[in-house]
Amino acid sequence: MSITDIPQVYNLERLISQTESVYSLPLIYERLTEVINHPRSSIEDITRVISNDQGLAARLLKLANSPLFGYFSKIDSIDKAATIIGTQQLQSLALAVSVIEIFHEVPEDLVNMRTFWQHSIACGITARALAIYRREANVERIFAAGILHDIGRLVICTAMPDIFTRMLMASREKFSLLFNLESEFLGYTHAAVGGKLLEKWRIPASIAEPVACHHSPDKARVFPLETAFVHLADIMCKSLGIGSNGEGYVPPLEESSWERIDIPPAALPEIVKHVEPQLAETISILGGKA
Amino acid sequence: MGKVVINNLTSGMVLGADVRDRSGRLLLGAGTEFNDKNIYILRTWGVIEVDIAGAENDSVNSKSSCHIDPVRFAAIEKKVAPLFRHTNLNHPAIKELLQMRIMREAEYVDH
Repeated sequence: MSITDIPQVYNLERLISQTESVYSLPLIYERLTEVINHPRSSIEDITRVISNDQGLAARLLKLANSPLFGYFSKIDSIDKAATIIGTQQLQSLALAVSVIEIFHEVPEDLVNMRTFWQHSIACGITARALAIYRREANVERIFAAGILHDIGRLVICTAMPDIFTRMLMASREKFSLLFNLESEFLGYTHAAVGGKLLEKWRIPASIAEPVACHHSPDKARVFPLETAFVHLADIMCKSLGIGSNGEGYVPPLEESSWERIDIPPAALPEIVKHVEPQLAETISILGGKA
Repeated sequence: MGKVVINNLTSGMVLGADVRDRSGRLLLGAGTEFNDKNIYILRTWGVIEVDIAGAENDSVNSKSSCHIDPVRFAAIEKKVAPLFRHTNLNHPAIKELLQMRIMREAEYVDH
């Protein structure tokens, strides 16, 4: 093989800047962040921004009325949703919805997008359920982090399809974990790519760090518990075979994360039982066409 | 007195020790007799296991593997075990997850 046969490997900075020029967060998300962070803005201001995007508004309302929240009375307007669910929470949900939309057009030949989002959304719901079990506040950012944890893999396979194919083949031949091969082939993993991209998009660190560290939870400095939720949720969904993210094996569990979450092993089936009724509907709301 | 997982609770069992939430608030007092309603309530509170008077500890995984023919269990285990090759199979959480996967596969084939 001559040197020209080796497909181009981008360094992390180059990959991110290239990705950033192709995929940008919709303006509506920035507007939403602005009004939510503005000390004098009201529920009406927030409602007005969301209602500008009918697709986003419709998905948020469907989510608010889904088994994920399990409210008895119908939430039929965005201002009701903002009041009941909370504006910060709505912002995290809007982020998840927007990013899924951005990556909707990724070419399907290397990654099956249906099973990819199945795995991602299941991971989001599971991480959220773990957080609820631990009585954490503001669980929607953990939900968003779970949903977005593997977006770096979409970036890698879109930007470097040849290398991605080689990594998949090597994973099968050597029985290796795909994310270890990413380090070997590229010098970084999909987790780092996802974290960096979210950082570039100025997404809060409470979401970006769990994404960046979901395979190395010990490296999370500011949000180790949030990271541990995503780390364990990924392992749970992989173990149970819900969806697929290209990774062939269940990733190893970091003992420190398990201890940090501090639940009995018998809680795992209970949590999955809690998650399962929410899966199908959430996947169809977030993954389907608006 | 032993710990019993909430799924294995049945009406008539008697609570051996107070059930409290993380902040120490009393949810159900020792001596309460279980019925469908308070089992349901415990479940919505996210309680996973309780102390039951006169019961033995539910060992991890004991309930999940008992409904399935051991030969079939072993066959499914052999099929799914390679997925777990990078994990520590002696870890209680991984053990539980492997069991859950095997049970899922068994149910999937059943239906």
